[in-house]
Formats: sequence, structure tokens, C-alpha cells
Amino acid sequence: MNRRRWLLKMMFQALAHRGGRTVLLLAVLAMASSLATALWIVSLSMERRIAEEVRKYGANLVVVPQAARLDVGSGGLNFGSIAEPSYLGQSEVERALSTSGITSERSLHLRGALRYQNADLPAEGVDFAEIRRLFPWWQVKGAWPAAGEAVLGGDLATRLKLKPGDRIELAGTAGPIPLRISGTVSTGGEEDGLLFMALPELQQALGLTGQLSQVRLMVTASGDSLKSAAQSLQRQLPSAKVNEVRQTAHTSEGLLAKVKLLMMLVTAVVLVSAGSSVTGTMSTTVLERSKEIGLMKAIGGTRLEVLLIFCAEAALLGGAGGVAGYLLGSGIAHFITRTVFAASAEFIPWMGAVSLAVSLFLALLGSVGPMVSVFKLDPVRSLRGE
Amino acid sequence: MIALKLVPHLVAFFGMATVALRGATRRGMLAGTALAGFLVGTGFAVVSTGSVSGQFSFSLVRALLALSFLLFCAVSFTALYQSLGGSLPVGWLERLSSRPVSRSCALFLASAAAGAVAGCRLGPAVPSWVWGALAAAAAVLVLAAVLLESRLPAGLSTSRAGYLALTVAFLLFSASWSTRLDLFAPLTMKVMKFTHDFVHQFFESMLIPDHLFIHSYLWGYIGLLFGKEVGFWGGLIIWFTPVVMVFLAIGLERLPSVAHLRQGAQRRRVLAEAIRTRRMRLVLPGLALVLLASAVYRSLYPSVEYWDPKPVPVTANAGGEIFLPRKGEIDLMDGKLHKYVFERGGKTARFFVLLTPSGKLTVDLDACAICKPDGYGQAEGTVLCYYCKTLIPLETVGKPGGCNPVPVPFTEQDDGIHLSGVTLINTWSGTVQSTTRTTEKGK
Amino acid sequence: MAVATIETSGLTRSYGEICALKPIDLSVPEGEWLSVMGHSGSGKSTLMNLVGGLDRPTAGALVVGGQDLSTLTEDGLARFRREYVGIIFQQHHLVPYLSALENVMLSQYFHSVPDEAEARHALERVGLGHRLKNRPGELSGGEQQRVCIARAIINSPKLLLGDEPTGNLDHKSTLMVMELLKELRAEERFTVVMVTHNEEVAAWGDRTIYLTDGVLVREERTRS
Repeated sequence: MNRRRWLLKMMFQALAHRGGRTVLLLAVLAMASSLATALWIVSLSMERRIAEEVRKYGANLVVVPQAARLDVGSGGLNFGSIAEPSYLGQSEVERALSTSGITSERSLHLRGALRYQNADLPAEGVDFAEIRRLFPWWQVKGAWPAAGEAVLGGDLATRLKLKPGDRIELAGTAGPIPLRISGTVSTGGEEDGLLFMALPELQQALGLTGQLSQVRLMVTASGDSLKSAAQSLQRQLPSAKVNEVRQTAHTSEGLLAKVKLLMMLVTAVVLVSAGSSVTGTMSTTVLERSKEIGLMKAIGGTRLEVLLIFCAEAALLGGAGGVAGYLLGSGIAHFITRTVFAASAEFIPWMGAVSLAVSLFLALLGSVGPMVSVFKLDPVRSLRGE
Repeated sequence: MIALKLVPHLVAFFGMATVALRGATRRGMLAGTALAGFLVGTGFAVVSTGSVSGQFSFSLVRALLALSFLLFCAVSFTALYQSLGGSLPVGWLERLSSRPVSRSCALFLASAAAGAVAGCRLGPAVPSWVWGALAAAAAVLVLAAVLLESRLPAGLSTSRAGYLALTVAFLLFSASWSTRLDLFAPLTMKVMKFTHDFVHQFFESMLIPDHLFIHSYLWGYIGLLFGKEVGFWGGLIIWFTPVVMVFLAIGLERLPSVAHLRQGAQRRRVLAEAIRTRRMRLVLPGLALVLLASAVYRSLYPSVEYWDPKPVPVTANAGGEIFLPRKGEIDLMDGKLHKYVFERGGKTARFFVLLTPSGKLTVDLDACAICKPDGYGQAEGTVLCYYCKTLIPLETVGKPGGCNPVPVPFTEQDDGIHLSGVTLINTWSGTVQSTTRTTEKGK
Repeated sequence: MAVATIETSGLTRSYGEICALKPIDLSVPEGEWLSVMGHSGSGKSTLMNLVGGLDRPTAGALVVGGQDLSTLTEDGLARFRREYVGIIFQQHHLVPYLSALENVMLSQYFHSVPDEAEARHALERVGLGHRLKNRPGELSGGEQQRVCIARAIINSPKLLLGDEPTGNLDHKSTLMVMELLKELRAEERFTVVMVTHNEEVAAWGDRTIYLTDGVLVREERTRS
């Protein structure tokens, strides 16, 4: 029989002999490696997801008229600045975009006030197809509007006691417009206080045909290339101001960093506690087995050979724990991302290697002490049971 | 600087000498042979790079390396065949190769090859103090090899195939530090071209769009055969096959017969000893495997910095003519690659201007007639096609054909270079269209 | 006069202050069966451990099978033990989770390579051909001791050490084990050093030495 195969067979028998303790060790190893794996997968998944969302949802360039103020992310709406409004020419912007060669998603906005029941109602004209593409987090209750229809911000709808299906009559500077509310939108942002309608309809109602108050661009670029994109667009549009929007990215990244730090701490704690418990269990095992070690030495095993047997046993345990930990960890990761973050975790095969490494490391670390004693043990004394 | 450049080659020589001394009888003589071989090889390479056209000595050394690899292939296959129980009529060869004289000869040749690689790296003009230093370093290394070999554990036994494996691996490793001597890149290129041609010949008859059996998804698979990856993986397989064969040959070696031993313990001891020496014999091919892998890595990510300037945009005058001044912002006569990009009617063309060693300016597309237009970079004495990693000696830049950059007609005047924008764009479109079509035909 | 397998001169072993073995000169010719008698604490086990390469002498020369044991390293001693020595313990010291066969194979493993057929043959020789797959816990004391003997002789040692091999056995099993040892010795021609406090067991040997407080007090030759 092959030496290696014999060794393996002996390992299995030794592990089976101490069934309960083996199961305990396996459980600890699997738990530790599964937690490490799960946290890692979750953090990776979140990282990728946030990066994707930043890329997907966040407009990263905003073009506004030179005179107007830009308040991105602030909930309030300053009507004072609209009292003396300035606008961007729609055709001018489109020409600039096509000549500057920037590939981007874009959405055109016009903001203005309409009269409703003797009060000003902030309204925004948009292209709903663009909105659906650029701002997928919009949750519309009811239906997306067709021609002659509008979407009302959630807060506004509550205040005005309007619900989908209602018809309202608004007055613009160029005449009255009848609208049907097709749905309400809630985003948690300033959108909740606005009325959204088709851009041409608002332009017509306000008498501002071909005018825009804001263009949001989502350029697929990052860092320096975003800056250069902004600069080249600025050159094409001397009358406007091109701003970079970094807030979204910054906040998400900051949050992500914190989440990662937390996960790393948790992982460290788990690893330390699991490591100490493995060490404890392993060392009692080897103390019990000192007679066996003594015998192996007495019948001619060199220190290295005896060490190999115990290392192999630890490695076998560690390997099994790692595989179990990976499977378990992937499961946990899926559960966490599904329930807590309402997202799906990714399937990352190479995490198997991480899980295996963690488990092997713990198992071998746990048996360092016992292995040292293997080195030191005197065969005569250990056989006598001292 | 020179010293640093030579380190890998000296290391390879040192390793080779150490291995050669293992299990040898007349070690002093062998060590001397190795030293002599190395110096002769270096001298030959230095002299020939200086006197004969530069390309010749490089090709010669490369051919020698390829030959040693082929020899290694043959020996590994023989070894595997023999350890599987086959017998070959090579008894006389084995007797010959086990003679001490042939061992010395082999070592001399191997060290000469190692020296030649180092010599090629040194280049033609070598001051005499470098010679002295090199000879001294080689002598010290040989002494160190003798010392190291005597310190190695006695159990580290070798086999002939393993010895050859490591020697060839050291040579190839050494060669991989020079892009012009590297064997792996040309190997992948050859494999790629071979598959390319093979597929063309084989599937020519089936190039009917709506073939009965070959559906479009199948074209997807055939398309795989046209990529750079085929060359890489195919090259990798060829590169590692012999050493894997040696592994197998040693692993499958029969254990000695122990039936004649009556005592069980003795029988087992003989078996265990045989298994142990067999395992020890795997050390050399194992080392060879590591060296070959690092040679591949070197070849894929050479430490050579390519001179690859950013293309400068140029415009044509009203007559459609592009003018590049001889001495303007860019000095065309400095022997470096100068890249330009020209745009006209929505089409762009990249081209470069280069002063060849013969003292003539040449204008070429930054693309060749075969590959995808990934462009060229300049390294010592050559330009390199980024797509297929072919090295084109500077002397031949400006001549059409193969992977050479496609030349563009131009007129050279005292003030600079004049060329026609229309011709440039047309040449570029024609070339790039055809190469793109060829490379993506499968898709 | 046969070649001396064991040759000691001034062999001493002390544990700190306590001197377990006073300087002792002993010569055991090849093939002899030597019984070592004495009360507990008389140093007889110490002597056996020294001779078997399990322990190192404090002073004195110790040459076993032509090897000077005092010059060997710890691993060198281990290699010496597996090549040269077979040991039978009073407590058997079988690995509890291995079957009888595997216990014998463990010894083969450390020596060279495991060989199941040979191990089985050895167990058949000690009369345990029917209990190969049993764990030590399922064997009687006598059977365990016979597994221990099979394990000791599996590597064809030149020197067989017995540390009170029959100390835990009843009279019948003792006789069986001694009979077996005698048979095996006749076949394998190994030297035996057996520690015992039982006169009857000692009488199986060719020669008996008596130790008291680490001093060789008496030597007695049994009938040829």
C-alpha cells in the first residue's frame, strides 16, 4: 500500500475515533470560515452594487444657465431665483453635446411655477422615457403618464389631497392646461414636492418653447476623464455652467467604507474567538494523545514524520471546514443581502480559496502548540503516562 | 548597468554548471569546460554581432536554442516511452552519452549557448574591462558551483532527462530576458499562424453562408481558432509538454524487482529507497518547470520599456498635403519612432516616421497587412507589433510584407517630409479593413 | 564467542540528583536471550531504554549493533530504533483507533512502506489470523500482547526488547507468549533483552542479571 494512502486512511480513522470532538472542531472551523466568507461576499457585492448604482443612477454632470444657482441634493426650492430666470437653449445644448463627442445618458429639465387654486405649484417638465432610464429608483404609484397626464410628488399629493386618476386644471403664463394625474412618485428627495409633466407641454404652458433650466448628464467616465469631459463641454457652451456632481459617489463610498470597516472588525473578532477555541480543543486533543505520540516515536518515527501526521490531520480538518464554510458562507451571504439590503449576492467562486485559507490557517494555528509539544515530548516518559 | 543586465544570464550559467557537476567524476575538468564554453560563447556572440549584420547572430543563437529545445523534446519522449516499457534501438546512443567525454562536450555546448545569449545581450562594443570582469565573474561562479554542488544532499539524484530538462530550461530562461532571443513569443506566433492557415485550408470548402450543417453558432467556435489566445495556449502546451513528459517518465519508472529478497523488512526498505530516489529525481524537472514558467512570464511581460509616443495630430494643407518638418518641434532624425494621427472626413489614420539605421527616413502606417492594427512600439534595434509580438529589425522597416508596417509613399525634401493625406487615408482604410475582416471572419 | 550486540562500559544514567543506573559494564553476544531482574526502581527499565535507544546515557559508552548510540541525534536514534529494535511493552501501547492489522502496518509505515500482505502474515504467525480487523479494545490482554509482538518483529529487528511483556497477563497467556517468543527467536535469530520481576519468566532466557538500586549485583547463567 502506498504511504500516502495509508496516512490518509489513518487520519480518517483517528478523526472518526474522536467523533464528537471532530464534529465540534469542524463546526467551529466551518462557522469561522463561513462568517469570514459571508461578510466578504456581502461587502464585495455591496461595493459592486453601489459602484453600479453610482454609475447607473447618478447624473455626474449638470448643465445650468450661467446666472442660475444650482442646489443639487438640497430639498428646498428657491423660487426667488426663478423670478429672474435664465434658460438654456435646447437646440444649443444638443448641438454642443453632439460636437463634443461625449457619450452619455442625459435628461432635459425645465422648472417653473404653475398656478393651481390661487397658489404656485412647482412643476418640472421632463421626458419620462429619459427619467425611467436615468432615475430607475423612482417608485411610481399608479401609471407612468401618457400625453396630457402628469405625475405628482408624494408629499404634494398628500398636501393637495389628490390621487391618481384625478383631473386638475392648472394655469400657466400662456394659458390654462388641463391635466390628469396618472400616478404619484416618491423618491425621498426633492421630487416628492414637484409636479412632473411632459417637457413640451410645460414649455408651451410657460411660453418657453425650446428653453431648458437644467440638463443632467450621466457620463460613463470617472475621475480625471470626467473633469476633462466637463471642460470640453464647457468650451462648447460658454453661456452655461457645467458642474460636476460628486456628492452621490462620495456619500455612497463613505458609507461603504464604514460598512467595510465594520465587517472587517466583525471578521477579526470571529477569527480571534474561533482561533482560540480551536487552539483549546486541539491542545487538549494532543495532550490526550501524548501516549500515541510517544509510541510513534518509540517505534521509530522521527519528529518530522510524527509532526507530519498531526499536520495532515489538522489540514484535513481545515480543508473540510473550509469547504463547508464556503458553502455555508455563500448561503449566509445570499440571505443577508436578500433580507437586509434587498439585493442578490454574487456568486464568487474564488471566495472558496479564501474560505479554505481561513479554515486551514485556523486549524494549523490551533495545532502549533501541540506540534511544539510533539517536538519536545520524550517517548519514554509519555509512554509511562507522565 | 551592464552588470545588472547580465545577472540573469550569469545565474543561468551558474545553475547549469551546478547541475552538470552532480554525479560527475572529473569535476575539475568539467568546471573548466563550463568556464571555457561560456567565455567562448560570449566571445563568439560579441564578435559576430559586431562584424556580421546584427540580425544574423541573433537568428543563429535563437536557432541553436530552438534546436536544444527540440533535442529536449526528443529525449523526453524517448524517456517516457522507455519508462512505459518500450525499447528503442538507442543503446549505442546511451553508451555514447554516458561517456565522460560526451558529458564534457554537452556541457561545453550548453555553456557556450549560455555565453552566446549573454554575449548577444552585451552587444557589439564591449570595453576590455567588461571582458575581464565577465571572465572573473564566470570563474567565481564556476567555483561557487563546485562548492554548492558538494554541499547538496547526497540523496539528490538526477536522471539524464531531468538534467537535460533543467539545462534547457536555464537556457530558455536566460534567453527570455532578451526580447530578440526569446523563444516563447515566436512559438506562439508560429502556432497562431499555423492554426490560421490550417483553418483557412480546411474550412475553405465550407465558407458558404447557409451551410447545411454549419450553423452560425458553430462559426462562433471556429472563430475561437482565429484569436491570439489560440497561439498562446497552443504555445503553452508545446512549451511545457517535454518537461511534463519527463515528469511522467520519472513518475512511471518501474520500481526495482524485490522478489528475490526473502526478508519482508529488507524488501520494503529497498522499495522505500527506490521511491525516495525516484522522488528526488523529480526535483530537477520541477525546477525546470519553474524556470520555464518564469520564462513565459518574462516573454509576456518583458521588462523592456517600449518607446511608444502618443500620436501627434497633424492636418493637411489646402492641397491635401501633410507636411512634417525635419527639425521642428519633433526631430525626425533622432532615430526614434514618431507617431502621428491624421483625420479626414471622419476617418483617421495612424502612421509613424522613423530614421532607419541606413540613414533614410521612412513613413509607414502604424499597422501591418496581417494583424489587427494594435500598432508598434520601439525597442533596442527593433520595432515590435503589439498584436502578434513580432520583432521587426529597424533595417527592414519600410519594406513591405509580412508583419512589417505598411509603407506609405512620400517625398523627402530638404525642409522635411511631404505626403498626401488622401493616399494615407486610403492606404489605412484598405489595410485595416482587410485585416479586420480576416481576423473576424469567424464571427 | 559470538560478536557482542550490546557493549557498555561505565554506562550511567541519572535524573538530576537521583542516579538510576550506576556505572555498569555489560556485554551481550549476538543471539543471546538476556533477562534483567530487579525490584521496581532498581534501574532495569532504565537499562532497557538506554539499550533500545529510547533514552540517552548521562555518561559511559554504549554501543549497540556496532553503533555508538551516544553520538546519534534524536532523529538518528529514531532511525536506529526502526531499523534495529523491536519493543514489546507491558501496557501493549496499541493505537486504539487502528485495527490489529493497521497497528502492525503503522510500524511498517515508519520503517519504510506499509505492506498489508506481510503484516497479515506476521499476525498469522502469532496466531491472530482470525482477528485482523479487530480494534485493540476488542482483544484480550494476551491477544493484544501478541499484536504487540507481531508489531515488534515486523521489521526484522536484530534486537527485541521486552518491558515486562507478561506483567499484565495470567499464567496461561504468559506461557503462550513466552512459547511464541521462543519460537520466533529460533526462526529470526534476534537478540532478546527482557526486563521482568518474575523468576519463572526470567528462566526462559540464557542468562539473567540482577539489578539493585542501579547496580549489577548478580549474574546467573540458565542451563545452556
